[in-house]
Amino acid sequence: MEPIRSSFEDDADMMEIVREFASEMPQRADDIEQLVQSGQLLELRTLAHQLKGAGGGYGFEAITETAAALEGAIRRGAGESAIKEACGRVCEVLRAVYIPEAN
Amino acid sequence: MNPETPNPNRVLVIDDSEPIHKLIEARLRPEGLEVTCELDGERGIERAISEEPDLILLDVGLPDVDGFEVCRQLKEHPTTRDIPVIFLTGTTSTDSKVKGLDLGAVDYVTKPFDQVELRARVRAALRTKRLQDILEQQSFLDGLTGLWNRTYLDRRTESELTVARRYGRALTLVMVDIDHFKRLNDTYGHLFGDVVLQGIADALRAYARRSDIVTRYGGEEFAILLTNTSLKAGLFVAERLRSSIESRHFEAHDDVVTITASFGIVCTEDFEAERTPENLMRAADEALYASKDAGRNCIHVHGREGVISADQFGDITEGDES
Repeated sequence: MEPIRSSFEDDADMMEIVREFASEMPQRADDIEQLVQSGQLLELRTLAHQLKGAGGGYGFEAITETAAALEGAIRRGAGESAIKEACGRVCEVLRAVYIPEAN
Repeated sequence: MNPETPNPNRVLVIDDSEPIHKLIEARLRPEGLEVTCELDGERGIERAISEEPDLILLDVGLPDVDGFEVCRQLKEHPTTRDIPVIFLTGTTSTDSKVKGLDLGAVDYVTKPFDQVELRARVRAALRTKRLQDILEQQSFLDGLTGLWNRTYLDRRTESELTVARRYGRALTLVMVDIDHFKRLNDTYGHLFGDVVLQGIADALRAYARRSDIVTRYGGEEFAILLTNTSLKAGLFVAERLRSSIESRHFEAHDDVVTITASFGIVCTEDFEAERTPENLMRAADEALYASKDAGRNCIHVHGREGVISADQFGDITEGDES
């Protein structure tokens, strides 16, 4: 997957917190995989909800879109394979997030 | 209370996600706003009560109590009731927006939010809050004289009594009633009566100290709350007010009319009954009526020993202040 860059990377008000947020995304991907493996759907849903709410605000629309799909799948009570698939798409995006270099 | 105060507006964010805190801070700080954040509802409410922010951004989906419940509690508490709330909602369902607005929120923003929209909605809410503050202040003012009104005096007395108790300070209340006001109205008309009320208000304002709270209590009665003031210092102020009223001249048709007023004074230092606003008002009123009975244009004190004339305190000078 191509690196995903924040649309606010060059925004002076945002630069620093975008870098911080982006650098946390690989860890969030690990968290998602761990939660889905141990079947902690409630925690998974909360995490998906938070990523959905924050992603777009940090200039990562793809995080919001894929996390919303995951949250929706859990809320609808979708089957295990559908949830795993949705998790996979979120993690793929999170790991593709480009972490800007510190100034 | 002063709408001209240039303090920056303070915004409290209650949201369970730290990235959202940082995002909102980054977006609102350039607007000159001060942002503080809490992660859950309970601490959010505590913070709102202790800091009284100008605006609250409240997440619907909180971990402990849900945002709707937090909003309900904020709207029930006298301290936070009038602080505008904007809901931050992840859902776009009409139901949840309507529920939030019905609970007293002024607006909602859906997450992820567009920063331009967030700022515009925050600005709009703060603008309304400022107008609301001005309206509230006006509801505490007397239309004819521009002095504070009785509603304000009652509230202020309550809070000043708390301050006085906490810091061991004295609080003095002076009641003033214009002598023979009804006769003036009957003789020269109500318009003249209004001119007299405005003139007396001007005199009280001019001769009271900066820290004194001058109010029109109702009709031809005025009350002045003297914070951090002993009985002797209060007597000094009351005497200055009495003589300033007496020395004023009002012109009615071809007559020059002199107005006098009677005074009643009470001080927490020299007060036996429980110190409530009602008890202080009643005591000051009793002293005021003693002044009326004694021939008007004089001052009486309601003290531990009952009501006595101010003359019994000897010459009231600043040097006597203890």
